Amino acid sequence: MTAHPFSAADSASTSGRAVTPSFWSRLWTRDAPGYLFLLPWFIGFFGLTLGPMLTSLYLSFTDFDLLTSPNWVGMDNYTRIFTADPKFAASMRVTFFFVIFSVPLKLAFALAVALLLNRGMRGLPLYRAVFYLPSLLGASVAIAVLWRQLFAGDGVVNDFLAIFGIEGPSWISNPRYSLWTLIVLSVWQFGSPMIIFLAGLRQIPQDMYEAASLDGASKARMFWKITLPLLTPVVFFNAVIQTIDAFKSFTPAFIISGGTGNPINSTLFYTLYLYQEAFGFFRMGYASALAWVLLAIVAAFTGFSFLTSKYWVHYDE
Amino acid sequence: MTSSAPRLTVVTGADDSAARWRKRALSTASHAALIIASILMLYPLLWMLSASFRPENEIFSSSTLWPSSWSLDAYVRGWNGLRVSFGTFFLNSFIIAILAIIGNLATCSLAAFAFARLEFRGRSFWFALMLGTLMLPYQVTLIPQYVLFQGLGWINTILPLVVPKFLAADAFFIFLMVQFFRGIPKELDEAAQMDGCSPWRIYWKVLLPLSTPVLATAGVFTFIWTWDDFFGPLIYLSDIRTYTVMLGLRTFVDSTAQSDWGGLFAMSSLSLLPIFLFFLFFQRLLIDGIATTGMKR
Amino acid sequence: MTIRIDRRQFLVGSTTLMAAGAMGISPVLSQEARLRLLFWGGQARADRTYGVTDLYDKANPGQVVEGEFLGWGDYWPKLATQTAGGNAPDIIQMDYRYIVEYADRGAIAPLDDYVGDVLKLDDFDQDQLDGGKVNGKLYGISLGANSVAMMVNKAAFERAGVELPGKMTTYDDLKAMAEKFNAKGEMKLIGDGSGSEPMLENWLRQKGKALYTAEGKLAFDEADATEWFAMWADLRDAGVCVSAEDQALDTGPLETTMVTLGKAAMIPSNSNQLVAFQAINQDEITITNFPRIATDAPGGHYRKPSMFFSVAGKSNDKESSAKFISFFVNDKDAATVLGVERGIPCSASVRDALAPTLDDQSKIALNFVSNLGDLLAALPPSPPAAAGEIDSSLLRTISQEVGFGARSPEDAGPALVSGAAEILARAAS
Repeated sequence: MTAHPFSAADSASTSGRAVTPSFWSRLWTRDAPGYLFLLPWFIGFFGLTLGPMLTSLYLSFTDFDLLTSPNWVGMDNYTRIFTADPKFAASMRVTFFFVIFSVPLKLAFALAVALLLNRGMRGLPLYRAVFYLPSLLGASVAIAVLWRQLFAGDGVVNDFLAIFGIEGPSWISNPRYSLWTLIVLSVWQFGSPMIIFLAGLRQIPQDMYEAASLDGASKARMFWKITLPLLTPVVFFNAVIQTIDAFKSFTPAFIISGGTGNPINSTLFYTLYLYQEAFGFFRMGYASALAWVLLAIVAAFTGFSFLTSKYWVHYDE
Repeated sequence: MTSSAPRLTVVTGADDSAARWRKRALSTASHAALIIASILMLYPLLWMLSASFRPENEIFSSSTLWPSSWSLDAYVRGWNGLRVSFGTFFLNSFIIAILAIIGNLATCSLAAFAFARLEFRGRSFWFALMLGTLMLPYQVTLIPQYVLFQGLGWINTILPLVVPKFLAADAFFIFLMVQFFRGIPKELDEAAQMDGCSPWRIYWKVLLPLSTPVLATAGVFTFIWTWDDFFGPLIYLSDIRTYTVMLGLRTFVDSTAQSDWGGLFAMSSLSLLPIFLFFLFFQRLLIDGIATTGMKR
Repeated sequence: MTIRIDRRQFLVGSTTLMAAGAMGISPVLSQEARLRLLFWGGQARADRTYGVTDLYDKANPGQVVEGEFLGWGDYWPKLATQTAGGNAPDIIQMDYRYIVEYADRGAIAPLDDYVGDVLKLDDFDQDQLDGGKVNGKLYGISLGANSVAMMVNKAAFERAGVELPGKMTTYDDLKAMAEKFNAKGEMKLIGDGSGSEPMLENWLRQKGKALYTAEGKLAFDEADATEWFAMWADLRDAGVCVSAEDQALDTGPLETTMVTLGKAAMIPSNSNQLVAFQAINQDEITITNFPRIATDAPGGHYRKPSMFFSVAGKSNDKESSAKFISFFVNDKDAATVLGVERGIPCSASVRDALAPTLDDQSKIALNFVSNLGDLLAALPPSPPAAAGEIDSSLLRTISQEVGFGARSPEDAGPALVSGAAEILARAAS
């Protein structure tokens, strides 16, 4: 969001007694509507969300073991994370690798298919629904069975490669490739960003294209000059959300590796490691610290995206 | 996009048939590509369907899609397998999903309107905090949240799954709507404001009618994600009569003991039906929405 | 307009309906004493368990046991969350692995006070009673005796023309047996057991050692661990067991095991899982003991409690809970309903009553556990709290590292011992 640096300064300069009435009236006309519209969110935030979040922050400074009351241990958990936990580094590497490859691939795929499906073609509703199907399956156990059938040594993928005389490895259970099968899974479930792109494309006024085509603009030019700029708010949204989601990604690795993160921790996503610590090994305090470290990293990434967004995201304001 | 193309080809006349041929070839090619892609996308569903009809001991050992024999046993067994029929689970899931849609659409759009269109002090701060709620893994807030809901006496009711939706707790949808609201020309608000419209009227009469695509999108996602959610129901629902479909599905399989795989795949296939139909229905809204709003600048 | 009103009425109506449902209280039940029971398992176990709660409710008017079940993976987070919220179910199914964690922290209650009173354990097997003790107190009532066992694809052995393994089969015999399997080319002889904690434990016990001492320290040394990894590396190289890539397909659940996937003719497992294995395999499955290190080696097997019922530390009605558990393990009608799905009943009289009612597969399991003979040795001390972490996050990973060639067996032995010591030390602090 664009900052409003002057609003704070304004209110400070109007604190004198003489201007009090106008201060109050300005407060009412200027600030009140915003806060009124936000009222449900405020109730939810302060009533339901903030408390548990702060509690987990507190727990990150304790040795909470799920079953007995927590004891304060100061910075111990954080110290261990940064100095004595090889699995922290390992799971970070896995997660970053996943984010770096899955997010751009998924977004590119979603955008390409959305553009293809946004044209007037026969049977489009059906295609759209079919392309969304993998995302409907969500976290179904069936995915684990299916992925094994596709990517095991004697799986469908290798049957296909055999046609070209290539003998593939057991992709899903070889530590060198296993993470890639999860990236493929993530890209395969590209339905949600695709739908959001479609909605974004739908919001672009058709008359802009009509005007441009009367001016003799080529389709490529229209894409670069109209479609893409007007779509940037949605591209930005998808990029931010998909990045956050990828950092927090849990379910695919949990289902495919049975919660182990194996082979040789090659699919030990950060949140999977955190989950093992919390519920497998009764170290919720430590897991909470891990979670807040992740929050800091994700917040830094998101903040950075917002900073750069003013250079490439075009709002109609 | 395509509607303008024929107009241009009429003018060029001489190349008419060649252009038409090229267009048809292109269309055939893209259909072919889409159909191949669709098969890739559909494979899991076909596999699941076939697994739901085949004998239990064939599910993991057979490599073909075609069952050696067909049977509806798994459906009968799955539907009545628990002491409560799957019909109850479907009803519970529907109630939760419908309430979630109402809640999300109503309150997230309010919050998004404030963030996208209204000027007030602290806006950036609150927006950043809202995004922050997206970033903490739910695994660590689970227990504090459970304790909170227990204090409210909401355990074993659907309230923990529904009330947050009426309090705009899902920052994803707020952010989504903010991005779309900001794409709507601001001159419209300003004109309405000149006419003396209150923020409420601008929200209700100007912004919402122009936002059908994003509202439809939010509706679809809410329905699907609520339907697919199992962790919330797992933690908060204990009485089997309050179970959702997803929770019911989880009871078919245990990694350490005898599972009912046929029942799982049969009921999984059935559970996809409502969300698939819902999706087909709502995506029409997504498409129709814009055509009828006639947004001009 | 009328439509709109109807819709609104519908909404109001359904909301009220929901509110009533949301309360979760039906007036009939509110006068009865309700006990909550939580267990993990699949449909088959649930049917049997509900059968017993029905019997109990009928035999004890005014009492209702409400059972809820979940898959293994969902069970533990839910139980932990409920326990942390002070809202744990009265009767909790407990695993051998976690009983120390829960008992140490007071999350489950000692039941010694009820023994002989509402909790009748007169002809209960001593080893099964001992298995439920933590620090000398009884925290869990075993629901069935169990033993580790090789799950054997009988049909595959017949196809390969190899005699089924038995009490005299040693690790050295495996190579000769494997030759015929490899000649046939259908599957390998055995899954890679190097990452299997029960198989390592069994092997150590045959050598006169153990996994853990009674004090919760490691009871084997680097040389043992190195020998273990070297033995499996040798079997892997010789094509006796499956490749590392295939073994890594096994992520724990039965449907991912080498037998179910058709990669190996036998794998380490548990005797009570025979029925579950048979259900998802087309070939006929049977069980036998683990291979021995020599035909005269001391027994490595023991009768392990497959799972327990425990009572929550904060249960309001511990006595009724104990009474239900007593019914569950002693009542003969209940035993017929339960079969040997959770393991072999621990009460001799119940066992006798049950035997004639069993089907073939269940009889195989019963006979196996009852006739271990010289393979059977004493119950080891209950494992330390960190045992689960050493198994799942250390042993399995190191065994994969050796399998994929990222570590040599000579390196893996010391890594296992020092890694385990570190985990034990962290848990103790």
